[in-house]
Amino acid sequence: MPETAVLDDRALIGDLIGDRAEEWDLTGELPVGLLRDLGARGLLCAEVPEAFGGLGLDSRESGELTAYVGSLCSSTRSIMTSHGMAAWMVSRFGDRAQRKGYLTELTSGQLAAVGFSEPGAGSDLGAMRTEIRRDGDDVVVTGEKKWVTGARYADQLMILGRMGEAGGVVAVPVTAPGVELVPISTPVLGCRAAGHWHVRLNEVRLPADHLLGGGGQDLSMLFTTALAYGRISVAWGCTGIVRACLRAATEHAREREQFGKPIGEHQLVARHLADLLVAEQVATRVCEHASAAWQSFSPDMVIATVLAKHVSAGHAADAAATAVQVLGSAGATDGHVVARAYRDAKLMELIEGSNEICQLILAGHALSQPQGTRS
Amino acid sequence: MTDRTTTLTAEDLEKELAAYLSEKTKTEVGPADDVFASGLVSSMFAMQLVVHLESTYDVAIIGPELKIDNFRTAQVMAALVLRLSDEAGDA
Repeated sequence: MPETAVLDDRALIGDLIGDRAEEWDLTGELPVGLLRDLGARGLLCAEVPEAFGGLGLDSRESGELTAYVGSLCSSTRSIMTSHGMAAWMVSRFGDRAQRKGYLTELTSGQLAAVGFSEPGAGSDLGAMRTEIRRDGDDVVVTGEKKWVTGARYADQLMILGRMGEAGGVVAVPVTAPGVELVPISTPVLGCRAAGHWHVRLNEVRLPADHLLGGGGQDLSMLFTTALAYGRISVAWGCTGIVRACLRAATEHAREREQFGKPIGEHQLVARHLADLLVAEQVATRVCEHASAAWQSFSPDMVIATVLAKHVSAGHAADAAATAVQVLGSAGATDGHVVARAYRDAKLMELIEGSNEICQLILAGHALSQPQGTRS
Repeated sequence: MTDRTTTLTAEDLEKELAAYLSEKTKTEVGPADDVFASGLVSSMFAMQLVVHLESTYDVAIIGPELKIDNFRTAQVMAALVLRLSDEAGDA
């Protein structure tokens, strides 16, 4: 894709989101028309090939777009992550007809969400209860999914469940009989407008062609593969949060004067700005490293992605706290870009593999390396 | 890369993949050794194998092919690659 087209996309997104993210955060809702518009332009799953109606961006171009959206509004970026993950799951797990059908829908304004977590199962797949059952020409789904990002706005839910010892993913239209969407009534900590709702699936019966690739895949492979996309998307989104914090803090430190000079010239404040600059560079580089692994189909892509997610989320959380510190009362009202960053970034240390889960994976990787190497 | 798979025999592929598994697990892995049963690797590694096979042998591993049983040994991976190459050639 030509560079200018990517710049056009950024300008368009800038116009569409503008300065409305604060209002969306305060009301806890995104305008669904905006999401459909972004979706129909292929911007919610920008790596889908042009043949299926997507933009065909590579991982880094798509990542930079994700970071840009993340710098403006983490709720919209969360929708991008979920919708993009749904498209990725269709690409990876679907058969030819399903890829053509669903990817065309997902680049035409239809919105998708992904159901992983359950009341008793987060990272522990063994505890997953949602059941997918073949019944003649039908497939029947029963279970409960929690914290489904974007469920509020979605047309399709990609539901992960178990099929005996194996697993499967079913594309469940929210209008199917037996689908129950349960709003979370209390405002959530971060990404408040991302439409996290619970989903109940009561014997939802669908034609078997809703089961991606016929099902029966390995449950942990389904989970790991789907999450890899979610993780790199969150990583780039967190880089966007860091960029927003760097920008807000430097603007404020340049203009706000105390004791006769801009506060950026006070050494303790200046150090905060240096920390933010370092965070922005580190998060960007680690994401670029992971995207390069995706683009070269390197076997290191899985671990590079976990590293990027962990590093970027940690830097986003630190950078947000630092930016709030620099802005003081100016940034301490709900909805302000750094106040949102503070809440949104904390959530990023929990989802798509908490800090601790990422650390376990990274530690396992370190232990598996022979002595004397550092790859 | 398609040229490589058409000239490679199952035996060549098995050797190549066993060498790859040995290198990645830092353990001597024979063509029939089950790397998942032996606890040498996790499902995290299975996805890396998918990516490796797809990029090295120009095949697409999707849908029901995506199961651990297809990646347990160098032998079964070689069979998978040859089967998928044939199917792609027929299409």
